[in-house]
Amino acid sequence: MKVPLLGPFRWAHDGKKILGPMQRISTEMRRYSEDDIVDFCIVGVGSAGGVLTQRLAKAGFKVVGLEAGPFWDTERDWVSDEKGSHKLYWNDLRITGGEDPLAFGENNSGKGVGGGSVHWAAFAPRFHPSDFRVYTEDGVGADWPISYYDLKPYYELLEREIPVAGPAYFPWGDPHGYPYGPHPVGGVGSLLVKGCTKLGIGVCAGGPVAILSGSHGNRPHCIYRGFCIQGCKVGAKQSTLISHVPEALEFGAEIRDRSMAFRVSMRNKERADGVFYYDEDGREHFQRAKVVIVSGYAIETPRLLLNSACPGHEKGLANSSGTLGRYLMAQAGNVILGRFAEPVRMYKAPPAHAMSEHFYETDPSRGFARGFAIQTVGPLPIAFAKQMMKAKGAWGWGMRRVMMDYNHWTALGLLGEILPWADNRVEIGEEKDAFGIPVAKVTFTLHENDKKLIEFGKKKVMDVLWAAGAEEVVQESRYAHLVGAARMGADPETSVTDLWGRTHDVANLFICDGSLFPTQGSANPGLTIQALAARTADYLISHAEQIFKSNERDMTPPPIRYHLAPKDTFSKGVPRVYA
Amino acid sequence: MEGETKRENWIRDPKTGEPIPPRQQPGYYPGYSTLGQRAFWDAKTREVVEDRVYNIPPIRFFSDEELQIMTAVANRIIPQDDRLPEYRIPVVNAIDERLHKHEIDGYRFEDMPPDEEAYRLGLKAIDQTAHEIHGMAFADLDPLKQDFLLKTIHDGKKLAAHEIWDKLDVKRFWHMLVQDCVAAYYAHPWAWDEIGYGGPAYPRAYTRLEGGLPEPWEVDEQRYYWSAPLNSISDMYEPGDDPGTTSSQGGTH
Repeated sequence: MKVPLLGPFRWAHDGKKILGPMQRISTEMRRYSEDDIVDFCIVGVGSAGGVLTQRLAKAGFKVVGLEAGPFWDTERDWVSDEKGSHKLYWNDLRITGGEDPLAFGENNSGKGVGGGSVHWAAFAPRFHPSDFRVYTEDGVGADWPISYYDLKPYYELLEREIPVAGPAYFPWGDPHGYPYGPHPVGGVGSLLVKGCTKLGIGVCAGGPVAILSGSHGNRPHCIYRGFCIQGCKVGAKQSTLISHVPEALEFGAEIRDRSMAFRVSMRNKERADGVFYYDEDGREHFQRAKVVIVSGYAIETPRLLLNSACPGHEKGLANSSGTLGRYLMAQAGNVILGRFAEPVRMYKAPPAHAMSEHFYETDPSRGFARGFAIQTVGPLPIAFAKQMMKAKGAWGWGMRRVMMDYNHWTALGLLGEILPWADNRVEIGEEKDAFGIPVAKVTFTLHENDKKLIEFGKKKVMDVLWAAGAEEVVQESRYAHLVGAARMGADPETSVTDLWGRTHDVANLFICDGSLFPTQGSANPGLTIQALAARTADYLISHAEQIFKSNERDMTPPPIRYHLAPKDTFSKGVPRVYA
Repeated sequence: MEGETKRENWIRDPKTGEPIPPRQQPGYYPGYSTLGQRAFWDAKTREVVEDRVYNIPPIRFFSDEELQIMTAVANRIIPQDDRLPEYRIPVVNAIDERLHKHEIDGYRFEDMPPDEEAYRLGLKAIDQTAHEIHGMAFADLDPLKQDFLLKTIHDGKKLAAHEIWDKLDVKRFWHMLVQDCVAAYYAHPWAWDEIGYGGPAYPRAYTRLEGGLPEPWEVDEQRYYWSAPLNSISDMYEPGDDPGTTSSQGGTH
């Protein structure tokens, strides 16, 4: 059989955006004029921005989302191909330095509607209760101004909303179960389970991942093709592009794509009055707004606010504390690779499908604070070749040889908590991007606790692969995720925003994305970012009239607005409804 | 890509020492073809992969002189002497296209010049080192000498051309070079066939997830043993000290 029964797959030309094979939306959205004073202007329609845009529009507000990248059509723009997916990432210049410089681009930064959620691997664990009290419990890092229990209802809601597939009983942190059942396990997950079990390390398989194990609304289930971080054409892996943006448009939000914000305007000094941005042709525009929410993630959010320095805010907007751009964190993301005698074919199944949080919490006997997780990863050939270059020093015939053994290798990821340090930071560099906007300069250096944790963690993961029967085990040092750099806190002297993401300095300027995190745990940040966004949206909706008009701060917690969740969240056929 | 390879550049049978002639498709998956499955791929993926195979971009960034050095370097970093000339993968053209289009990975190390400049400097330094040590151009050296010279860069050592190397970090340059070469080679469906990688699988899906089992349209592994040619030293592994971030990091988790 050379061709499928019904001929080669092709799309219809009906002028609509395709978001996964079952969802087609018209992008003839409501358009605001620049003279309109919209209620909310959101900078960045990614993990947080997508949820915010949907919630605020559904609550009836006038919302404009500015997104630097394009509004994707998953069928026409995305490919099942590593090299062809380069455009999903934030590839604009950033300068990276310090003793342990971070990589950006495909490693951690998205561009386009959906942002980083388009290319996340979609591991969606919650943070543990201890993550919110790191300073109190361990005397390092910082405490969050909120507790796990403030966020818990939003975790529960988002787990059904995006939704998350995983085991019926997840034993770590605050134990819980998942609405969709676990995924079948691939070769990498099988070996993780085998190795952990031999060593008496707790392990769970099949999630938690924001990938559908059964169909949900107009999104089909996973087909296990392994291209999660190249953008899920299937629509099974959640991105806010497919889970929240369609409803945002339906309720009248405008998403202005290819719009690069470069300054938050403070023309009356006390309050933000809008956002300056460039369109794709480099023309300058200004969108007036009653409230500005910056959701650009841990590099672009501080960059925008630092570039928005103006009289009265000379150090950058919302930076009277001097902490804007500081306490940037990445997680230790060492990849540990083992070669097995029998084939594994690790490109099948989602890269993210089994994990252990057995070493998550502080254990004083290890000699360092906090811990790490162990997770499956499934590098495709190009990523694997680069790992072999680093981990084995491979090149030439050695590269050709080890690559011929690609199907025999398996890869696990360490996900280790690196603590927030003031000298790990985002500043403004000398150079400028294509629009003439000064670029971000990032400095990153590991500290003693971080180094000890990584050393211990990577040895542990190597042990797991040896125990699983590997003939050879090597590792590559790297980092995953970016958070911090505009942290929330109770004290305006040492943080950028309050517990709602509202900047201490400007009453109608909010930040909502991973840059709010005071610490990061060793859980992937995606679910927490989206949960925080839903919580911030509830606060904004409850207190909108006051926020629009005055600088007063009402800290009364808002009710949780379950009815604002996307329509398929509670619909018929959603399994394991327990709330 | 030059034509016929000399026998001394062929890989060998480790038992008999006999050279193994170049083939259309090296690797342990004879007869496997990802491109043969393209009717099952989505239209956009098919378009992108076919374009890569059938529309090889012209050289626009490298000068003639740089192209000669780059070609010689790429032939050592990703040697293809085990492939029939018409089945070699155009690595240099893909790198040239990236540099011509100023495509970067989203960042630059503070101690490195822009990628385009780093390439021009690095290639010049490689050639100048060949001239200073061997009295001839890098491209004219025999493969073994080329390998030894590249190995010093792999190790982060500067043998000569210090005034050029001082402008960039040797190890970071090496990593950029290797990763650009592998990114070009392993983006090609012929390389997928070589390593037995399934390739695009939307909308069809993979169904045999565990145990490393092939799909009905994949094939079982058939291993054979081979040694690198005697005139090469690249078939060994020396990771050296843990280099941390010296290079692009593929997103994994």
